[in-house]
Amino acid sequence: MSRRIHACRLAVFTAAMIAAGNVPAADFPATPPVPGPALHLSVPTPSTQTLANGLQVVSVRRAGLPLVTAQLIVRSGGEMDPPLLAGLADLTANLLSKGAAGKGAPQIAAAAEALGGSLDAAAGWDESAIGITVTTPKLPQALGLLAEVVRRPDFAPAELERARTQALDDLRLSLSRPAALASLAAARGVFGEGAYGHSRGGTPASLARIGRADVLRLHAALYRPDNAILILAGDITPAQAQQLAQASFGDWPKPATPLPVRTAGKAASRVPAVLLIDQRGAGQAGVVAAHAAPPRGDGDYYVGTVANAVLGGSYSARLNEEIRIKRGLSYGAGSSLMPRRDTGLWLATAQTKNPSAAQVVELMLGEFRRLGDSRVGADELAARKATLIGGYGRSLETTAGLAEQVGELAVYGVPLDEVGKYIARVQAVTPKQIEKYAGRHLDAGAGTVVVVGDAAQFAPAIRQAHPQATLLESTALDLDSQTLQPAAGK
Amino acid sequence: MRLRPAALLATVTLLATALATPPVAAAELTIPPIPYHQRTLPNGLQVLSVEDHASPNVAVQMWYHVGSKDDPQGRSGFAHLFEHLMFKSTKHMHAEQFDRLTEDVGGANNASTGDDVTNYFEVVPSNHLQTLLWAEAERLSNLNVDEANFKSERAVVQEEYRQSVLANPYGKLFNAIDPHSYTVHPYKRPTIGSIEDLDAATLPDVIAFHKTFYRPDNATLIVAGDFDPKQLDAWVDQYFGWIPKPAAPIPQVTAKEPQRRKNLRYTVTSETAPLPAVAVTWLLPSASDTADSIPLQVAAALLSQGDSSRLYQSLVYRHQVAQRVGADADGRVGPGLFTAYAILASGHQPAEAEKLLHEEIIWLATQPIPAAELDKVKTQLLTGELKQRQTAQGLAFALGQAALIDGGPEHVNTDLTALQKVTEKDVHRVLQKYVTGAHSVTIDYLPQAAKGTTTSGVAK
Repeated sequence: MSRRIHACRLAVFTAAMIAAGNVPAADFPATPPVPGPALHLSVPTPSTQTLANGLQVVSVRRAGLPLVTAQLIVRSGGEMDPPLLAGLADLTANLLSKGAAGKGAPQIAAAAEALGGSLDAAAGWDESAIGITVTTPKLPQALGLLAEVVRRPDFAPAELERARTQALDDLRLSLSRPAALASLAAARGVFGEGAYGHSRGGTPASLARIGRADVLRLHAALYRPDNAILILAGDITPAQAQQLAQASFGDWPKPATPLPVRTAGKAASRVPAVLLIDQRGAGQAGVVAAHAAPPRGDGDYYVGTVANAVLGGSYSARLNEEIRIKRGLSYGAGSSLMPRRDTGLWLATAQTKNPSAAQVVELMLGEFRRLGDSRVGADELAARKATLIGGYGRSLETTAGLAEQVGELAVYGVPLDEVGKYIARVQAVTPKQIEKYAGRHLDAGAGTVVVVGDAAQFAPAIRQAHPQATLLESTALDLDSQTLQPAAGK
Repeated sequence: MRLRPAALLATVTLLATALATPPVAAAELTIPPIPYHQRTLPNGLQVLSVEDHASPNVAVQMWYHVGSKDDPQGRSGFAHLFEHLMFKSTKHMHAEQFDRLTEDVGGANNASTGDDVTNYFEVVPSNHLQTLLWAEAERLSNLNVDEANFKSERAVVQEEYRQSVLANPYGKLFNAIDPHSYTVHPYKRPTIGSIEDLDAATLPDVIAFHKTFYRPDNATLIVAGDFDPKQLDAWVDQYFGWIPKPAAPIPQVTAKEPQRRKNLRYTVTSETAPLPAVAVTWLLPSASDTADSIPLQVAAALLSQGDSSRLYQSLVYRHQVAQRVGADADGRVGPGLFTAYAILASGHQPAEAEKLLHEEIIWLATQPIPAAELDKVKTQLLTGELKQRQTAQGLAFALGQAALIDGGPEHVNTDLTALQKVTEKDVHRVLQKYVTGAHSVTIDYLPQAAKGTTTSGVAK
């Protein structure tokens, strides 16, 4: 197989080196020039159709360059991990491309990469996705490959062992990062025994337990056309999308059995409200403050989005302003709002030198409180809305970004034309709504704070403000336990 | 005449055709050249621009030809610390006003410091282009940092050091590569510096550094995206044209890194890394030596781009001694580095990975390379380029890299042509010359249990 590749002739336009009309330094304006009239962002409208087997096909056009991103999304992710089998959905997604339809893992990787892309698969919360970005001419082959790995994976025992070993090493790596470990512990604090409370990447014990039968069972139960969405974003028309989807996925049979029932995302928590985890020798402390948030379908979704933009959604937002810009305590502090199907998560994070962890905890809690205590000023609100809207517009500039935005709407069953309404919805949010929202959802008493680091350097100071803070050794942490602590008497 | 990307796509086999023919039919992949415009002001400022109206945004980037190789003596990390200070006050702007002019109006900004260059990059709705040009000219000509801002920003940079070097389990390894790989060239100083050298920096150092390196004849302004070229030229002349070109010459690094005379080995330990690692480096020619640097990039991609790459297949997949592998041809203005590394899988030692790394490199340097494999990496590299060019910011970065590192702005287009022509013979030649036929530096990275700190009142 060989392709001849042509390069276009170089087109360079070199102008004469003339700079006319230099002004002397004295004429350099002392104030910034006023911007020109505001511009209109045009957002492409997605098209959607459902194949006879129930597969939802969504296409959205951006034709500037000959690129297409293809994403096959299953509307189920880590929340479907059975008890004791944390990490099963992620391991299953990961194994799709490791052998399918008579091809081994190396052949599948070579085939995807020969098309110029790579097959990237992972389970998130509420979704598992596998996707590839290729140049338009390679799309039919890429979709053929995507269909093979989604519909006919082998889950060979040797590949399961490989994936298990890798997942265990990935987990060790991730747990050695203070902020990553703190986020994991905070999620257990917020969601408790609920479906979002466990480690999506698994735990040492759960990964060891997962067998091939578990993987086969999860795949059979969830990877089915009536639980899936195919997103095609880029240089493609709706008619082409329909034709390609039909060719690759049209004969994917829909099982007669009903889809498995989901369990509640959030349940009672037994994690202390302030948890300190000692990781000796840690070069920094990871500080996290977390709260439960409303689900994606909540009527106040955009209020939450704007509230988070004010709190910690960007460089100039409050958390970074207080922690980094004013005090130099961190390279970066921020927050994110992650709404899910029946609940959601607010997570604020920062890394700081161990001795300043206590100060960062107080600054973080103070900013959560301030959101509900006082109304956001008009200028600040306008600025943070502009930041949100600008970032949103830029996220739609690439085929992969477009696929991600549209995919998220599709997963949560939000009408797809919402992609074009984002700007108006954000603009409509008022300071009063934010105050009310924060009062309702960010009650300071209901959150979880986790600090991971060299505890000798921060535990005494944190205990002064939070005498109830519990200290655990990172080496003794039990990620399978509802309390994160080893079972008593063990 | 100015071409827009859409007009250049006529040579691409479009989807409709691809559907009508069997999927294996060879499809010709053509990367449209970037139709950039170039000029230089009398004060020496180089201006590159490329019009692209795909979105109503415009990217403005200032690339200064100064990097950590120019850190003053005893001040490692200074060029990077300075980069942070460029967001503080100027004669006509208060601290963080750059954020007001970008983030607050729906744009974004950032900056980065490398060994050779420091770049400041913004993207804004295009009705704010004039404002940003004014602001970039302002901080080039009128920087005015005070002591309080200097100290708080230095603390931020020290946290950046802790986050990227100390709290990142493999940060210490990657930070040790340059210091162990160079003997004479200032590339041996890590860009992030050290806590002690950062502590030693003073406000007068900041003023001297700005005066020495931040001058129009040491800068390249790049504008990409939605703008009117005539209007751009007029604004650039108005805001940048008056800035004087200093009479003093720009200091240049003259150190010559000698050829290595023997293989060397170092050990670095980490209290937080869960698994050992190993990295091996070789010296490379300047990135602007494209006859060699482009085949070296192809070699690195053959070794490590994607799960079908040679190192992944050998170390991670077949032998399962490594959890992660990489190879990189890091081209610089001066001597670069070819680096291969592996983070070990549980239960394996650096020596096992090191042996396999060398075997794969020697095999690639001497044995036939299947045409399909060579074709695969070219498709990967070209697709990666196309993906980068989807945004105004991506176009501007491609131009900056070409202009400041790869030998001139024309390389943004000619290097892709050259890439398509790389042969097996080229890959063999460059690997034999710079890697298998040269001396290596090897760094073993070993986890070491934390000692010392004891915690009071351990777990209940």
